Amino acid sequence: MLRRLAVISALAVVALAAVPVRSARRPRYGGTLRVEIGAAVASLDPDVIAATAEEVAAKWQIDSLIFDHRDADGEFAGAAGSGAFRVTAFEAGKRAVLAANEEFREGRPFVDAVEITMGRGAHERLVDLELSKTDLTEIAPQDARRAAEQGVRVSASQPDELLALIFVPPNAAPNAANARTSSQVAGQALSLAIDRVAIVSFILQKTGEPAGGLLPQWSSGTAFLFPAGAPTAADLEHAKELWKQIAPSGGLVLGYDSADPLEQSVAERIVVNAKEAGTAVRAQAIPVAGAGAEKSRGAAGQSAHVDVELVRWRMTSPLPGVALKDFLARIYSGPLAGVEAGGFPETASPEDIYKQQRAVLNTYRVVPLVWLPQVYGLSARVRDWKAPGPGENWPLADVWLDTETASGVQ
Amino acid sequence: MRPSCRNPLAIRVAVFIILVGFFSGVPRVSHAQAASTLPKSWNDAVAKLGDEVAAAMSPVAVALSVENISSLDASHVAAIGAALREQLQHHSFALPTANSTAAQSAVPLQLTLSESAGKYLWVIQVPGDATDAKPSPTLIVSVSKSGSTEAEPEQQSLTLEGRFVWKQPERLLDFALLKDPASGESTLLVLETKRFAVYKASGEGWQVSRSTPIPQAAASLRDPEGTIDSQAGKISLKGLECVGDPDLAGVVECKPFKPAQILRGPFVTIPGLPNSVGATIAEKCRGEYVSLFTAESDWTQSDSIRAYLAKGVPLPVRPAGNTLEFDGPVMALHADPEGSSARAVVHNLKTGEYEAYIVTATCGN
Repeated sequence: MLRRLAVISALAVVALAAVPVRSARRPRYGGTLRVEIGAAVASLDPDVIAATAEEVAAKWQIDSLIFDHRDADGEFAGAAGSGAFRVTAFEAGKRAVLAANEEFREGRPFVDAVEITMGRGAHERLVDLELSKTDLTEIAPQDARRAAEQGVRVSASQPDELLALIFVPPNAAPNAANARTSSQVAGQALSLAIDRVAIVSFILQKTGEPAGGLLPQWSSGTAFLFPAGAPTAADLEHAKELWKQIAPSGGLVLGYDSADPLEQSVAERIVVNAKEAGTAVRAQAIPVAGAGAEKSRGAAGQSAHVDVELVRWRMTSPLPGVALKDFLARIYSGPLAGVEAGGFPETASPEDIYKQQRAVLNTYRVVPLVWLPQVYGLSARVRDWKAPGPGENWPLADVWLDTETASGVQ
Repeated sequence: MRPSCRNPLAIRVAVFIILVGFFSGVPRVSHAQAASTLPKSWNDAVAKLGDEVAAAMSPVAVALSVENISSLDASHVAAIGAALREQLQHHSFALPTANSTAAQSAVPLQLTLSESAGKYLWVIQVPGDATDAKPSPTLIVSVSKSGSTEAEPEQQSLTLEGRFVWKQPERLLDFALLKDPASGESTLLVLETKRFAVYKASGEGWQVSRSTPIPQAAASLRDPEGTIDSQAGKISLKGLECVGDPDLAGVVECKPFKPAQILRGPFVTIPGLPNSVGATIAEKCRGEYVSLFTAESDWTQSDSIRAYLAKGVPLPVRPAGNTLEFDGPVMALHADPEGSSARAVVHNLKTGEYEAYIVTATCGN
């Protein structure tokens, strides 16, 4: 018996030595990566202005695949096809097919082609992923957990998108040296009353983090200094007292993007939280359109009559100083328009970054709510995908397809 | 394991033999680095924090508590806490023991060890004065995160040490560190995708002394591979072989090269075996083969190198010693032809640079 085992063992060793061991990490070339997106991109020309913020984001990603260079403004420039891929077919708003650029200076992408289907709804995209009809698609953060429970392979970035309340700038610029304005008091009352933990737990299904500061903990390391826990009884009592100080007639009007189901859910939750603290808030959908929609929101002179609105701001860099500088530019051209910005050094120390956040948050004209990650659904055969972080693009040139994976093989 | 066409079959056989008895359930233990003393920059930061506390409040009895929300391990946390206590005592603060009467009236002081994208942050929130309207100060010091690739000092059957040699933004395929036995002069050979560079030691750094362009294939590869065989004076790349005259530190000429036909059977996944990059080093440890393997992570993740010992068939393979952690994937791991070291090329995902390390396995008593 022992002799037989020894013979079997020896044969196994010889057999193993004769065949190459499969390496899980060695990329392979070939295949078509199928991508589905919600946006409908009308043109890939960087000079053509996109109609919606969603289209801006999608166009940026596709342009990053076909252009190798950016100009001084950070816009993609040069010849289309100089990037990792070149466009072989394009139907405005419907479909784009990209082929691997054999001459790409960083090396030919692993996949032969990328086929992008546009204008697909969130539900359709998830179904297509489950049926292996697509390889990569964006998933709304609030749908991530359900998707994972249904067996979808989910990839999430670090939380890098801030969902916050901003107060619409008053006609007269607030003066920090003067007594607190009514909107500041209202901001503090709302900040105390909103249950950020419940928003994360119930609306976002735990995909995200409560936000107390303007930067997430993983980036700044100081987010823990800005508490974002559930309101206590004392907080609610304090909010009521603050509200009594101002009690605006008709309450506050809270605007949210009419096309964003997450903003709608959060706005409705805030109305409930505010009511618990004796604060009257009314949620109102506002149409947000145009490439500069995000920038204009919260700026003086906007068309919809709202006192406070929800915004989603994505970090432009993982570096806390760079990301905060971008946020400060939005804040001082929006909710704090007219307020003189304090100096912010180019090479800001962690203490500078903390103090700047504290200064802005003490105005209560910006009320952070939650941090959202970027979530993607992947088919089983997608390899070497890494959810892009702040300022990064889809790494489709690095992605390869494992054609030996049982599911999702073309 | 990443198959390599250039590995001698004997080494591959040895590696497979070593792997046969290895079970996937073997726990991967990452030993904490003992920190009896802190690095100078950390000591400086603790001293600065002590100074700032002394400037923010008068010396009283304080009860210092330490909370760690960073990736620092327990030994570092304890060492930082101890160093700060020492600093506070130096500034005439009293630190009564936890259960003493004095501790009950001591001012609570919390040190939070946090971290940002690139730094460790140590934060103290000084309690505010109830009679003072001013907000209580928050004191923050930061220290840069450095690669923790040092081996723990405790006795091991096998100790891995990673010595940083070189880094560069361009893709690095392989490198070799040579030392002239006569003059003692060091030479660093660096193989990139488009050139082969020779560096000579100059002061504390390296100065390029020769750079040879490597002929490019019509289409550049996204997963280029290449090795330097300094003993044979040969560089191997996909479809090319370069030979040095008289050695690789001199003129290098490249010619198209078609490797001998490699037997390619079906790909197999052997359950329980590390499916990663590996190399078997030349020297044995107490008669046992020493193999180095990376983790099974992909190119988007941090990585590590671990040693495995095996006497041969049919004895099982066992992991040995400490784990070297890296901030990115180990792209290549080549055993040196002699001795107990291997060359590791790491793509640091935090900096984006390619780093070269000499990994040495030291056999303990």
